Amino acid sequence: MLNIKNNIGYFSKEAKTILKLNLASNLLSIFSVGLILFILILVATGWFISNEAIMKIQSEAEISLYYSEELKAAEVTVLAEKVKATDGVESTQLVTAEEAYSQMVEILGMDAEVLRHFEDNPFSSYIEVKIDIKEIDNVLQQLNTLVGVDYIRDNREVLQSLMDIEKALRLISYMVFIAVGIATLVIVTHLIRSGIYNSREEIITLRLLGAPESFISIPFVLSGLLLALGGGFLAILLSTGVLRLIYGQMLGPLPFIPLPDQGRIISKIVTLTIPLSIVLGVAGSYFGLKSAAES
Amino acid sequence: MIEARGIHLKYPDGTSALKEIEIRVEAGDMLYLIGPSGSGKTSLLKLFMGMEVPTAGELIILGESMSYIKGPQLQRLRRRIGPVFQEFRLIKGRTALENVMMGLRFLELSSKELKEQAVNSLERVGLSHKLNALVDNMSWGEGQRVSIARAVARRPALILADEPTGNLDRENAIKILDLLDSFRDASTAVVVTTHATHLIEDRFDSRIVEISNGRIMERAWGEA
Ligand SMILES: Nc1ncnc2c1ncn2[C@@H]1O[C@H](COP(=O)(O)OP(=O)(O)OP(=O)(O)O)[C@@H](O)[C@H]1O
Ligand SMILES: [Mg+2]
Repeated sequence: MLNIKNNIGYFSKEAKTILKLNLASNLLSIFSVGLILFILILVATGWFISNEAIMKIQSEAEISLYYSEELKAAEVTVLAEKVKATDGVESTQLVTAEEAYSQMVEILGMDAEVLRHFEDNPFSSYIEVKIDIKEIDNVLQQLNTLVGVDYIRDNREVLQSLMDIEKALRLISYMVFIAVGIATLVIVTHLIRSGIYNSREEIITLRLLGAPESFISIPFVLSGLLLALGGGFLAILLSTGVLRLIYGQMLGPLPFIPLPDQGRIISKIVTLTIPLSIVLGVAGSYFGLKSAAES
Repeated sequence: MIEARGIHLKYPDGTSALKEIEIRVEAGDMLYLIGPSGSGKTSLLKLFMGMEVPTAGELIILGESMSYIKGPQLQRLRRRIGPVFQEFRLIKGRTALENVMMGLRFLELSSKELKEQAVNSLERVGLSHKLNALVDNMSWGEGQRVSIARAVARRPALILADEPTGNLDRENAIKILDLLDSFRDASTAVVVTTHATHLIEDRFDSRIVEISNGRIMERAWGEA
């Protein structure tokens, strides 16, 4: 019955008129919806990046196995073979005291001077063991029973706290998601309501002429959608700009944080924000119309 | 087309606007509702359009009982009525043509028919030179005619015009009354309220109903 095809031009023109009628306040709304979504994107991105980093770190979980100094070279090789054969161990590598020393020089960089204060090499040889993080308890138990094992340095505290951080971040981002979602919904709802309030005489006229409610509503839903989408685009622009800035800064002095590919994040941001703005715009219009109809 | 049996209308504030109204309007009728200000003319038209519901009695408009009508059923009924409001109710910021088209958009018309019917009815009311003029800048009489064009463009079965002569001078008032009269035919009835009694007394092929204090009074010709 509702001749939507015939009226597409009319609906978009009406939506434009509704937006133009209160241009200043609508621009402010696009701006605030954009900022809110921007915060949402930052939190989501922060969570995503740290999650990736943690996963990467966890997947590279390694422990250091120090062996008794009495072991001869051949015995060390046998021990390494045994370690490698253990369930949950992915690879092993022998690290000599000299290699450990030069690794530390590399890590300390300019500060490597301090190592000169030692007369002898303070490091000892060890076996570097890459393991599956999920098997850590099992692996440690088995390795401790091997003969010749002196001491195992696991990074369990570090790994555990990484997992805790990830959990906390996830919780925070869920809460921010919900808060920002509600705020956007409220803003869009409020805007549609005031749009309807401004157009109440026209709406009454259309009703008296027998227009179906859907015909009356479509321009308002459309204008709500445009507002939310406008905010969404603004948020995307802002956040990609900020992301570029952060990446530019991070790649220099913080090379040990494994950052995911920038393009991948941006496409994630876009695919998250656009549907979200559409949903918020439509839902906001729906609530706006509903509450205006009730009053 | 209209069948009112013993209808009463009491507004929520207690004002009793209409009492024991009995009216029949048939297709082809031209009915003038006259009466002093505050007598209840607009209230009666509101009942006919489903803007108010009778507090008592039975009212049937175009075959629909008005007591409980609502939603899509009321919308469908309103699409068969051509209303000319006392205050016009034109949509500001739009042209005459857009206003007339607005009343046609949700009918089952192709976009070509829609435009044609709107242009035709604006021509019929003598505004073919003002199609694209904004209604905001129009004179009272022009606005009046746009609102008549919007009402008749949909080819309604029932035209309801509230005080269309308003404060027009005698010559223009007669023109508007003639114009409205010209839309009645075998399938269309026209109801017009007016307090310009002197302008309709010689319209012998019409019916006149006088309302006073919410009640129908006897008239010399044409019975309620
Ligand atoms: N919404 C309303 N609530 C309460 N009383 C109303 C309402 N609308 C009209 N009335 C009252 O009902 C009575 C009839 O009003 P109505 O508007 O029908 O008169 P009218 O004949 O159209 O007058 P006019 O010629 O001035 O337009 C008046 O006493 C008016 O004050
Ligand atoms: Mg009146």
